[in-house]
Amino acid sequence: MSTEEKLIILADGAKYDASCSSSGITRKNTGGIGNGAYSGICHSFSKDGRCISLLKILFTNCCIFDCKYCINRKSNQIKRAIFTPKEICEITIHFYRRNYIEGLFLSSAVIKNADYTMGKLIETITLLRTKYHFSGYIHVKAIPGASEVLIKKLGSLVDRMSINRELPSDQGLLLLAPQKNAQRIEHVMDLIDQNKNKNFVPAGQSTQMIVGATKESDYEMMKKSSRMYEKYHLKRVFYSAYISVNQDKLLPSLELPPLKREHRLYEADFLLRFYGLQVENLLDKNHPNFNVLYDPKVDWALRHMNEFPKEINKASYLDLLKIPGIGPTSAKKIISSRKYFKITFEDLKKMGISIKRAKYFILCNGLSFVNPKMLKKDFIAQNIILESKEVSEEKKGVQLSLFYEGE
Amino acid sequence: MKENKFIYLYEDSFEELLYIFDYLIKRNLTPLDIVKEKDYVPNLLDPTIFLKKETKENMQNKYLNKTSKKIMFVIKDIYLSNACHKELISYYFLRNALKYQETIFYRKNLKCVNMALNISHYVRRETHKMKGFLRFQEIQNHILYAKMAPENNIIFALANHFKERLKNEIWIIHDVKRHIYAIYKENKIYFLQEEKNPIIKMTDEEKEIEHLWKSFFQAVGIEERENKRCQMSFMPKKYWRYLIEMEDENENNCNWKNVN
Ligand code: SF4
Repeated sequence: MSTEEKLIILADGAKYDASCSSSGITRKNTGGIGNGAYSGICHSFSKDGRCISLLKILFTNCCIFDCKYCINRKSNQIKRAIFTPKEICEITIHFYRRNYIEGLFLSSAVIKNADYTMGKLIETITLLRTKYHFSGYIHVKAIPGASEVLIKKLGSLVDRMSINRELPSDQGLLLLAPQKNAQRIEHVMDLIDQNKNKNFVPAGQSTQMIVGATKESDYEMMKKSSRMYEKYHLKRVFYSAYISVNQDKLLPSLELPPLKREHRLYEADFLLRFYGLQVENLLDKNHPNFNVLYDPKVDWALRHMNEFPKEINKASYLDLLKIPGIGPTSAKKIISSRKYFKITFEDLKKMGISIKRAKYFILCNGLSFVNPKMLKKDFIAQNIILESKEVSEEKKGVQLSLFYEGE
Repeated sequence: MKENKFIYLYEDSFEELLYIFDYLIKRNLTPLDIVKEKDYVPNLLDPTIFLKKETKENMQNKYLNKTSKKIMFVIKDIYLSNACHKELISYYFLRNALKYQETIFYRKNLKCVNMALNISHYVRRETHKMKGFLRFQEIQNHILYAKMAPENNIIFALANHFKERLKNEIWIIHDVKRHIYAIYKENKIYFLQEEKNPIIKMTDEEKEIEHLWKSFFQAVGIEERENKRCQMSFMPKKYWRYLIEMEDENENNCNWKNVN
């Protein structure tokens, strides 16, 4: 089989992993090729609009496991391939020299057994770091069930190592991936967290959960995320809308991946990480799912109308963050600017802060942008829904977002 | 400030531009405009003055001492940008910076501050994007060669980035819009301006590797999630011309030429 055929099969098998970031590390070029850029660099964008930063491939897609949701499961009749370590190194270097990529993302199906697979990953990365002198970014997936020594060894060679939680509940995992085991997966996370230092997984770990393959609510999903953030200090949790690749009576029959829901989870996840909000601030048992019509912050604000409007010239940092449409960057700008002048609506515009969303929830020097009598829940909800339709029309022409807020 | 009706012309260098700023600041003047001499289209109506630096004093150092590194970086960014009236914006920004020092960054209610910071931000964002979008091709003697046509003059920052990354290679970055080359060899970068195009020979191996990259690019995209609009907003068409993976799209879509 040619290298190209293998590459097509093994990139195809790896594409469902959402993680492609290359940030969080400033690795020095130690005389060979490559270094790490702290803020991460996107080299291209695939037709689905996702960033391509790393050569994202599997070592092999030959699997002894039979996870129900996975294209590579044992019971599927698909083309199988195995790379040699040398092939992987060569493609990586070829691509890196030409600036196609920021580094390598290497995952694998479980071939023979967990330790054997892990050994192959170690062999590949060792070759790449020592013989090919590659100092660029490397992210590997740990194999569930691999022994501790091997995990420690691999961790010392890479920038990021992670393991996918796949499903938020233990029952879900038992149902769809019976050969994986929740305790074992979290044990690996724990191990990575315990050993983390500047020579071991310096860019930290991440994980991924599938959205919509099992019945868990957004509340359960977010609870799981926040527990993992706390316990294992994850850098990121990725959410991947379930794509129906297999027929199975245990799987839901979804025509389309639940992309809207995935989007809301990312937004909420962002609120947990950067706003210091708790899951309970957003959802609870009586209100376990996000509204697909508007984002979690608007959803929350509409249920807490008594907290608004907030005065831009007085509100604390945390209060500013609760205003829909105001992110950390904008909040900081407001705080540092209002020392020098009293901020008006006009000033917000000049500062590059959009009031499209925020205008229903703020006062500037006691003034409201909208007739205060109109500021009722239903009025705002309707307007926001209609405005978000306008936005997506406008976005057709978007070229370069100059005021990217990271939201 | 005294009003004056002149357009000041400068020879294209950062020092020369700062010299004009210095000249105007000393005399407390508000010029009609400040324009690069070679870009200026003469007409009979505007009175112009061409100024050339007449002192040995280093202007960059002078204003670095009077302001700060952070402020001077913004002024340099603006100098490298393609924004309209950038010199005038930069001049007013500098005047205010002399007055407000570091707190200038919070005074976005001043028009010139807001405009200046937006331009600087745009230049930095494009530099960051180009660190990803630049594509090298291996040509004769294993030299890596990359063409680009960015909006702003970002070749200096880019060259520094690749100096660390591709230390042991010989590489050339070519800004085809401005005819500037950055050539790197053995820890040194050389910049030169040259209108003639170099003679490039591509190997068969190079074509194979490009093909391999295109295959990978096709394979990682998820059909069920296709979102070309999103792809295009992150990777605007104006950058496609030199992106190997977008070659086929370029052929299918001849409109890209009009997008710039
Ligand atoms: S272990 Fe499960 S999820 Fe991983 S490749 Fe095998 S079948 Fe797929």
